[in-house]
Amino acid sequence: MIVGQRKSLQELQEMLTGYKKILLAGCDTCVAESACGGRRETAELAAALQMAFQMAGREVELKETSVDRQCIQEFLVDVVAAAQEVEAVLSLACGAGVQALAARLEKIPVFPALNTLFLGETAERGVWLENCRGCGDCQLGYTGGICPISRCAKRLLNGPCGGASNGLCEINMAHAYDPPVPCAWEQICNRLQSLGELERLYNVKPSMDWSKAGAGGPRRVVRPDQRL
Amino acid sequence: MTPKPEVVVLACTQAVPQPSALRQALQEVGISGRIIQEPCSSKVEAFHLLRILAKGADLVWVVGCPEQYCQLAEGSTRMGFRVAHAQSYLAELGLEVARLGFSRVAAGSPEGLAATAAEIQLRLKDLPPNPARPRPAA
Repeated sequence: MIVGQRKSLQELQEMLTGYKKILLAGCDTCVAESACGGRRETAELAAALQMAFQMAGREVELKETSVDRQCIQEFLVDVVAAAQEVEAVLSLACGAGVQALAARLEKIPVFPALNTLFLGETAERGVWLENCRGCGDCQLGYTGGICPISRCAKRLLNGPCGGASNGLCEINMAHAYDPPVPCAWEQICNRLQSLGELERLYNVKPSMDWSKAGAGGPRRVVRPDQRL
Repeated sequence: MTPKPEVVVLACTQAVPQPSALRQALQEVGISGRIIQEPCSSKVEAFHLLRILAKGADLVWVVGCPEQYCQLAEGSTRMGFRVAHAQSYLAELGLEVARLGFSRVAAGSPEGLAATAAEIQLRLKDLPPNPARPRPAA
């Protein structure tokens, strides 16, 4: 899922300067799971911004709504309708959702409430960790299901750098991560060993084709069978 | 004349089976507040607390059960986290985090209710009227 983090209230207030009727639109999929953009967080943010505007002496009317997914055009019908009554929309979706909504609202500005951060998983309650970079050339089958592109700080493809200490990546020396960042390659080796597939490491991977990872411009998938 | 502070208490029905008892404890320290009963303190969301403050309350309080006695297992524990999360918004806004608080009271305990009322009274002493309340219409 996509993980994001709310922008500061100060940045949001500055973004919304001059607008008197604003719709907050949440998304109940990825950003709800990462506790930053679902209907609960939309309600929290609306109340907090209401207080901020009242403290600043600004008369602003805030409305709230939320949809299952903002990245699906058909799901946006009700949000688009609600947006006709306001001057601006503050979207709590990820970047994809913000843009999908903005594409449907030509005359109403759409602002992002979140900074979209990464693809990841809920490692434990309240902790979301990046584990996919969308590199477009998934090699997880060869690394025991542990991604060296997203989980190795150096994105090494053919083994550890040798800087790990007690199973932890050397970047922990520069910053106190909680939880600490494990050495992805140590995890890969341990995993392949438990799978009885350590020999996979002897297959040297060639240099990565980063054009598949976005270095070649905006990516797309087109399925003729889906285009009705 | 200084307006009376607006206090809202969200009280778990297990911790406060008789809201009148809590009301009396508050009145004994000079506070008249609105008491809202909740099926469990864990049903109180952070946005409830923030909305009540945005509507003009000066202080919002949640009463739950002692953590080990919560009938919904982790409910009372989670309530504490949610109050803290709502307080983080207040801190970001430059508002006093003391406008939100909670206490854990064994089922209907008169001592627990009295202590809750005393703690609310203490908080209110240093709290000015809520600067984030809606302005009256001109």
